[in-house]
Order: sequence, then structure tokens, then C-alpha cells
Amino acid sequence: MDTGLILYTAAFGLIVIGSAGIVLSTHLVRIIFGIALLEAGANLLLLLATYREGSPAPIIVNGHIPATMADPVPQALVLTAIVIGVGILALALSLALRVQRAYGTLDLREVRQRLDQDIADEAGIDLPTSGDAPQAVMSRQEGRA
Amino acid sequence: MTPLDHLLLLSALTVVVMLLIGNRQAAGWTATVLYAAQGVALLLMSGLGYGTTAAIESAVTFQVLEQALHWRFDALSWFFALITIGAALLSSWFSAGEWAQAYRRRGGSLRIFHSALALNVFSMLVLLASGDLLSLFIGWELVSWASFLIMALGGATANRYALRYLSYAFAGAMAVLGGLALVYSLVGSFQFQALKAAVPSMDSASLWLLFALFGAGFGVKMALLPFHLWQAKAYAETPGPGAAFLGAISSRMGLFAIAIVLVQLIGIARLVDMPVPFSFLSARDLLSWIAVFTIILPTFTALRQHDARRLLAWHGIGQGGYMLLGLLIADDLGSAGGLMHVFNHATYQAMLFMSVVAVIHRTGTSDLNQLGGLVARMPLSFVAMLIGIIGLAGLPPMNGFVSKWLVYRSLILDGSPLLFLGAVIGTLGTILSVYKLIHNTFLGQLRLEHEHIEEAPLSMILPMMILSAVVFITGYFPGLVLDWVAAAQTSIGLPPLAHHLGGVATEKGGLDMIWIVSILLAGFAVGTLVFFSGNRHKRVHQLDNYAGGHFLTAETRYQYSDNFYPGLMHLIGPWYRKSFRWFERGLVSVVDTVSLAMQGLYRPVHPSFYLLVVVVSALSWAVTQ
Amino acid sequence: MNNLVLLVALPLITAFLLPVINRVSAFAGRWSGPLILLITSVLGISLWSQLGDSAVAVELGGFRPPLGITLYADQMAILFAVAASLGTLLLWPNGGADPVRQSTLALILAASGSGLALSGDLFNIYVFYELVAVVSYGLIAGKATSGSYAATMRYLVVSSFGAAMALTGIALVYQATGTLNLAQLAQLAPTQLNNIQGLAAFVLMLIGFGVKAELFPVNTWVPEVYATAPTRISALLAGVVSKLALLIIVRLLVLVFHQPEALTVMLVLGIMGVVSGELAAWRARDFKRMLAFSSIGQLGIMFIAFSIPGKAGVFAGLAVALHHLVVKPALFLLAERWSGSISKLAGAAKTSPLAAGLFVLLALSLIGVPPLPGFWAKLLVLVELSQQAQALYYLGAFVILAGAALEANYLFRVASRFYLTEKGQTAPATHRMPELATASLLCAALAGSVLMLTPLAEQIEDIASQAADAAHYIQTVNPETLP
Repeated sequence: MDTGLILYTAAFGLIVIGSAGIVLSTHLVRIIFGIALLEAGANLLLLLATYREGSPAPIIVNGHIPATMADPVPQALVLTAIVIGVGILALALSLALRVQRAYGTLDLREVRQRLDQDIADEAGIDLPTSGDAPQAVMSRQEGRA
Repeated sequence: MTPLDHLLLLSALTVVVMLLIGNRQAAGWTATVLYAAQGVALLLMSGLGYGTTAAIESAVTFQVLEQALHWRFDALSWFFALITIGAALLSSWFSAGEWAQAYRRRGGSLRIFHSALALNVFSMLVLLASGDLLSLFIGWELVSWASFLIMALGGATANRYALRYLSYAFAGAMAVLGGLALVYSLVGSFQFQALKAAVPSMDSASLWLLFALFGAGFGVKMALLPFHLWQAKAYAETPGPGAAFLGAISSRMGLFAIAIVLVQLIGIARLVDMPVPFSFLSARDLLSWIAVFTIILPTFTALRQHDARRLLAWHGIGQGGYMLLGLLIADDLGSAGGLMHVFNHATYQAMLFMSVVAVIHRTGTSDLNQLGGLVARMPLSFVAMLIGIIGLAGLPPMNGFVSKWLVYRSLILDGSPLLFLGAVIGTLGTILSVYKLIHNTFLGQLRLEHEHIEEAPLSMILPMMILSAVVFITGYFPGLVLDWVAAAQTSIGLPPLAHHLGGVATEKGGLDMIWIVSILLAGFAVGTLVFFSGNRHKRVHQLDNYAGGHFLTAETRYQYSDNFYPGLMHLIGPWYRKSFRWFERGLVSVVDTVSLAMQGLYRPVHPSFYLLVVVVSALSWAVTQ
Repeated sequence: MNNLVLLVALPLITAFLLPVINRVSAFAGRWSGPLILLITSVLGISLWSQLGDSAVAVELGGFRPPLGITLYADQMAILFAVAASLGTLLLWPNGGADPVRQSTLALILAASGSGLALSGDLFNIYVFYELVAVVSYGLIAGKATSGSYAATMRYLVVSSFGAAMALTGIALVYQATGTLNLAQLAQLAPTQLNNIQGLAAFVLMLIGFGVKAELFPVNTWVPEVYATAPTRISALLAGVVSKLALLIIVRLLVLVFHQPEALTVMLVLGIMGVVSGELAAWRARDFKRMLAFSSIGQLGIMFIAFSIPGKAGVFAGLAVALHHLVVKPALFLLAERWSGSISKLAGAAKTSPLAAGLFVLLALSLIGVPPLPGFWAKLLVLVELSQQAQALYYLGAFVILAGAALEANYLFRVASRFYLTEKGQTAPATHRMPELATASLLCAALAGSVLMLTPLAEQIEDIASQAADAAHYIQTVNPETLP
């Protein structure tokens, strides 16, 4: 089987897995891992964009320019993207830590409810809940009252 | 600087002066003088009212976004401007004396009130002077917001109704703006001439859309059905003289715009050619029927009101229907009747509002169930209201008769007996409800708490008396107004009405008010003579009567005013009660429900869920393209 | 034209030096940031006047594309670069838990914002975009409340997801063309990107960059973040950063993606943005979230405007964008003291009459009441929309009009509340001087622009016709055409 095809499949697979991870999971750390996978997939795709099988690295040795060589641009780009990705990963994890400290949970659903409550409290308005809101919200409001 | 520039400048100056000194004691008088000066500036252009066909251009023009904006006055603008400035002059006179002090005592800011009134006048003049569709829209918006300003002054309740007005008015303005965009896409210009030239070649669908957008947009201001719900309450809650001013002229701006766009530019003949799908009606018939229902429903709604100001304001809506109806017939009689009705209605509506405000000033209420018998204490206000309601009901010898006669006559000649019938039913409702108004306020027995009330102050009485004189004189000599009306008709391309000082004399029928009124007065004179000469009359005290065999003491006074017309209401009330309220409620609940859904959209558990959905769906759409 | 580089480099360098400077002298640490932004703004404006109608391209380090990095400055780019510096200067984050950190982040925001506007290279755009994103996370979380952490976290997830999508789109573009330089892409696009792959790449990038441009439906972060972030940061994000992201999309449309389907996607999402934003704002009961939703609606109008093909669309969209650029920050500044429930704002005109007056002026302009600039911008959009053949554009016009009607309703529900006094209610606090001064300045600019409507319109049209001219772009960057 063609190496290129395998690699493309891997890249799209990573993107799909990452996206699915982000959307399907409700645990913040898993979502962050999903982002990391997604970015890896995108980077791989970028790297593959001008991948030529068997071509050497684009390094000029002793003034000798190889006839075919891998395109150096995406490699530089991916390097940058990886750095950015790592930075965001670190930032995301530290934020997750803060959220965990503030709300005591990393569950996205609960985080959203607490956030809504926070915003409503700060604004001094009632939380817009409907009659069939989850029991947790209702009981919390009753406790507040 | 042309005379028009002088007028607009003076009007702008009035706004500035009122912003500066509006809080002083003399502000009301200053404003009155400044309105008088505007009136003089207007009279310098009086050639327009007597057949000068060349419009007076303003020296100010703008070139924005490759669109030329310009302003000019023709006879139609002049006619409306005359009413506007007259109404402002008398309203401000009315407000200048004791009313201002009372208003300030209640915590109102005179500065804002006077500035708002001056701003209304200015914006209306700008609207009337518009020389192309874009300046028409600018003037339209200015008028809408200026009315909002003056409506919102009266505290929390007024504010609520003003906001309701704003929702209607701005939605209407957006319809007009949509119409403007449509015109631009069809014609490529905002100039009147360009639109007029392009109308014959327009296809029916775009013309319908244009008709709907402009009709609805301008109709909102006129409070045409079904967009009428805002008006009565908003006008009623406006501070007294402001209500008189708004009631007199504000909604007529909608008529002015309709006269320009639908009558002058698109042309009634074109509207007749546009059949309503699946029916035998044309676009003109549709609008005429809307006008008729605008006469009937609000007038009968007025019947049910027990607040004098609301009763009047509901009437104002109904009377707008006559004007539109007359204008839509577009022959010389009908359109003259419609346009003349603008003038007539402004005079007596302002006067009626003034009279009611004078009553409020003295008694503190306009609740028709809390008043009665005031004729003994406020005879001059009574006279003003009497003359006003005769005019409103359209009976001779007042001016309201002439314009309604013209409209009726042309409806019959036009072969629209059903429309005529509708209009007459409306007049029936008018007569019933204005009787309720004057009876419950001035007739019957004086209430105990009103024993020591005095006549309204002179500053209020004088404007009312002037208006009474105008109502009577223009009823006696309708030719005075018909001169201006004929000039206005010519300027929007309608056949001018052949008239003389006493009325009209066409082959379709004549009316000579000098004869009619003289005979009427002679009849009254004979009656009076008989009444007094026989020496059979007896002067009775207001309380000297009895009911159902029971003598009434001075402590328990008889009031018929509560629950007026119970039998009639029982009969016809269910037919129209809360009519069209469902329309507004339905619209609001639709917006409410959809907005709830939209807000829910922005509170997702998973912030990136939509992202994935839209990526996947957009990509799959892109691939299938 | 090394000044161009300074626009980006100067704030960036200062940002990294700021902690050191602050250690030496707290005074210098406090003032060097605003000073540098003032300098870059002045530099940008002088560049603007130097360039006039001609554009300029700078190849960093002397490398030719595709290896080198290109900065491209036409009037639109400089305009938004200046907007980034000047906007950050006007909305300089004062106070907060850690002022030095906030200042550093704000400087980086200005630098990367300018970079975003000036970049002539897709990957560079991506880098600057991510930089803006990271910095804005820091600025939002700078309020150090539990709500701001949670909102930032949620924002980060969407934004990173979007950025990864954009990166995928970039990869697709590179795969098809072998270059990321915009000028070269513009040359190659008609032959190599005018296909499904190009469309897919555009969709991915539209959605990726759309996260910051508050594109429906990837804007769910907006109400949460604007409600919890420091007010000035909300103003900056809504006013300036969203326009920068929009600018990128417009550049891509003009230069690279000419498919009519690309415009359709944008139009549809813009219409949905207006509908959802205005309706949600109509329902919002607190001031900040109302502004946030209304901002979504306004950005929707911009998307609709920019989806009009050709110069007309760029002109109309630019007019709306510039108007919003002035109005929305001013409104957010007023929200500093008026955050919270709208029902508690009764009597605000008594305590801060100036702020109430400014709000009325801004609201009038926002809903498009003549003769304020907002009206002319809206009129321009409507006129251009009405000249399109597709029925979808008419729907866009209708939605804009209906949205304005809703907007009038909710904005004046607030405004009229200011002027009512209810018994037993405490009036809201008066505004602080810095916010009020900045808001007044923006309002003065707004009112002043009424007087010079025609020259302004001509200027914007000039900018638009330059920005919409792909051939001009190609020629500026590569005088000799590439193989």
C-alpha cells in the first residue's frame, strides 16, 4: 500500500478522532487532549502537502543541491504550529486547573451551569431556566432562595 | 437663502432657543412668538397656496454616496406646513401660561417639553420639504423620533406607550427603507422624477411589493389598520398641549407621504390596474377598504373609552381614514375633501384636546366617569368643545361638514356605495361617542368635589376661542381653505377642485355653505326668538330634577355617565372588542418564542458542537456543489 | 519601508521588556506601554499619508516568496493596523490583579493585531491569529474570577478547534498550490483553487477565523466571555479584534476564493447571525450580554455586506465595520458601570447625564437613524444588496431591516429606563472619568463624521477599490511574475 495514502489516512483519522473527542467528551482534560490530537492531525496534513516519497531532507551539504528534495516550507511551518500548539496546550491545562479550583469539577456540563449562575449572579438577574430544567439547577436555586 | 431656508432656519433656531431658555418662565411665550415668526416666514411663500406652480427650492443641497439630497416646498408642503405651524403656535400659546406652572409643579421639565415640541415642528417641516425619496426618509425618521421624544415625557405609563409607538414606527420606517432600496434597485435613483418615469415600465410584482412596503410603512404613522393599536394610548399620555399638537397634525405626515409616493409618483390610476390576486379588488380598493375599516373600528372603540383623551385619540385614527379614502378616489371632489379634512380635523381636534386638557387642569382628571356638569363652571371650555364636536361629527355649520360632504359626494359619484355606507357607519359612531364626551364632561350634574372650580385661565381659553372661530369661519366660507387645497391638488397632479368662497360649484354637484349656514343661523334665530318671546321658558337649577320618581338631594347626585350606552355595547361590543389585539399579541409571542430559542442556542453545553456540525454540513454541501 | 515592521516589532519588543522595565521603575513600566502604542499609531498614520494610493510590500530578511515572509500594506491594512494600536491605546487595560501582565498582554495584542492586518502570507496570518487568541485568553482571564476562568476555558476550546480547522484549510491550500503567499495564491487560484478542494479550504478557514469574527454559529463564546471579561477587554474584542479576523476573511475572498458558493456560505451564516443575535439581544436582561448579542448581529450584517461580490461589497462592509469599530467599544465602556440587570438602570440619567446622552447617540447611530453615520452605512449595504440578482440577498436585506426594528426596541427599552425614576430604587453609580472620556471621544468622532460624510465616503470607497483589486495586490508584491 502506498505510504502516502496511509499517512493521509492517518492525518484525517487524527482529525476525526480529535474532533470526536472534543465534541463527545464532557471532561475538560479529555477535550484538551482532543485538541492536541486534532492539531497533530492538521500538522501532519500540512507536512504531507508536499511530501515526496524518498526525497532527502532539504539540507544543502557541501554546496551540493539535491535534484529532488522535500519542500522545506511546510516543515518550517509545522515546527511553528507545533510550538504554538504546545503553548496553547499548557495554557489550556493551567486554565483547567483554575476551573477545577474554582468550581471543584472538570465536567463541562457542570462548568456551564456554574458559569451561567455566576453571570446571572453578577448581573443580578434570575437564571433563565425553563420548567423542565435539570433538577440540579432547580434545587440549587431553591437552596439559594 | 430662499424663503424656505429662512423658514427652516427659524424653526431650527426655535429648537436651539428652547434648549437654552426652555426652563424660564417666559419660554412658552417666546416659543409662541417664534412660531408666529415661522408663520410669517411661511406666509411669505403664500404664493404656493394660491396657485404658484414653481416649487421653492432650498439653497441647501447635499451629495452623499453619490445621491443628491435636496429640499423644496410646493403647494402640498405649504398646506401641511401651515397646519403644522398653526397647531404649534396655538399649542404653545395654550401651554405658556398656567399650564406650564402646573406642569413644572408635577415635576416635568419645561425645557424638554418646549424643545421637543419645537423639534417636532422642525422635523415635520424638514419632512414636508423633502425633494427626493432619501430626504423624505430622513425627514420621516426625524419625525418619528421627535414624536417619540414628546410622547415619552409623561412618566412611566407614557413611556411604555411611547416605546410601543417606537416599535411600530421604527418597523414602519424600516419598511419604507426597504421600499427605498427596492426603488433604487429598480430605478437606480432616489429622485421623484426618476421613479415617476419608471413606474409605467415596472412589472406588477415589484409594484405590489413597493405598494405594500410604502403603504405599510407610511400607514403605521397614519395608524391604518392593523397598525393602529399604538396611537390612541401614546397620544393620550402625551403632556396636554403636546397631545393637542400631535393629535392635530402628527399622524397626517403619513398621509402626506402617501400623497407623495402613492398618489403623485405611482399614481392612483396605476393602483387601479393592479388586481389583488384571487379577488375582484384592485390595490386601490384594498387600501380604500382598509381606510373604511380604519374609520369604523377605531371610532367604535372610541365609544368604549372612559378617558376623554383616549376617546379623542381613537377618533383621530378614524378621521385619518376619511382623509385617505378621499385621497384614494383621486377625483377633484374626493381628494379635495381628503386634503381639506386634514385642515379641518387639525382645527377641531386641537381644540377638543385643549378643552379636555383645560378640564384636566382644573379638575385633575379626564376620567369620564368622574366628571359631569362642568358647563356651569367652565362655560367657555364647553362652547369650545361643543363647536369641536359638531365639527368632528361633520355637521353644519362647522368645517367638518364640508370635507365630509366632499368625500361622501365623490364616493357616490365614483360608484362605491359600500365604501360610502362604511363611512356613514363611522360617522354614526362619531356622533354617538362625541355626545358621550360632551355629556359626561359638561352636562349632567356637577359633582360635589367640583363645586368650586373656575373657568380655565385666559391663556388656555384664547387659543380655544381662536380655533372655534377658525372652525366656524372655514365652515361658513370653505373657499378660504379650498384655495389652498386646490393648489395642493395641482401640485400632486390631481385635478383641482372648482370652488368659490362659499363652497364648490361643479357639474357633479354644488355646495354653498354661505346659504346653508345663513339659513341655519336664521332658523336658530327664529327658534331663539320663539323661545324667548313666548316667555314660557323657566330657568332651573342644575340639581333641580329627579329620576325614577325619587327626588335627589344635593348629597346623592345622579350620574348617568358610568357605563354609557350599555344596550348598544351589549349588542355590538362583542363584534369588535379587542379587534386586532391578537395581531399584536401574536407577533410579540412569535418574536418571544423564537428569541427564547435563539437565546437557548447561545447556551450550549458544548461550545464546539456547532462548530463541528457546521464544518461537516458546509463541507458536505461544498462537495456536492 | 522598515517602518512597517516597526508597527509590529516595537510593541512586541516593549512587551517582552516590560517586566524588566517595571522592575527598574514602576512609573516607566506603567507608561511605556501606552507611549509605545502612541508612537506606533503615529507611525501608522504617517505611513498612511506617505503611501496614499499606492500599496507597498516588504519581504522580511530579503527572502523572496514563497520562502520569505511578506508584509503587505495597502490602505485597508494600515487602517486596521492603526485601529489595532489605537484601539488598544484607547482601551488600555487599567487596574486588574496584575497590571504589568495585563499591559504586556495588551501590547502583544496590539502587535499581533497589526501583524494580522499587515501579513501577506497565509501561515503568518495563522501565527498572528493564534497569538491574538492566546493573548486574549490571558486578558479575559485577567479578571481572575471563577466565571472568567470558566468562560476563557470554554472560549479556548472553541477557538483552538477553529484554529485547527483553519490550519487544515491552510494545508489543503498548500497541497493544491505549493505556496502560502497571498499574492502567489491570487495568481494560482483561478486555475488550482477553483474547485471543490478550494471551496472546502475556504469553508474551513471561514469557520476557523470566523470564531473570532463572531460568525454564526461558532460565536457561542461571545455572550459568556463579554459578560465575564473586564469591560475594556470586551470592548477591544468586540470592536477591534473581531474586525481583524473579518479582514482576513475578506482578503481571502478577494484574492483567493472566487467561487460564488463561498459567498453564499458567508451570506447564509451572516443572515443567521443577524437573526440569532438580534433576537437573543431582544431577550437579554443584562446590559453586557445585550451588547454582546447585538455585536453578533452587527457582525452578521458585515458578513452579509462582504458577501456581495466585487468592490461594492467591500465598500459596504467596510463602512459598517468602521462604524461598528467606533460604536461598540464606546457602548462597552458605558457598560463598565452599568453592567448587570437592565431593570436596575432606572434613573441613570440623573446620576450620569452625559453617559446617558452618549448612550442615546450611540444607540441611534447603531440602529441607523439619519443623519448619523450608521444610517449611511446601512443604506449603502441595502442599496448594494438590492442590486444583486439572487433572492438570498433580498432575504439578507429583509433580515437587516427586521433586525434594526428589533434593535430599536431593545436599545430604547434601556434608554427610556435611564430617564425614569422609580421610587425606592438606588440609581446606578456614576461613571469614572477615563471611561467617560474615551466614550466621549469616540462619540465625538462619530458626530464629527456626520459633518464630513462625503469625504469619508470617498475615502472608504478608495480603500475598498484598492482592497478589492486582486491584480493590484499581485503587482505590488511581485512586480515580475513568477513561473
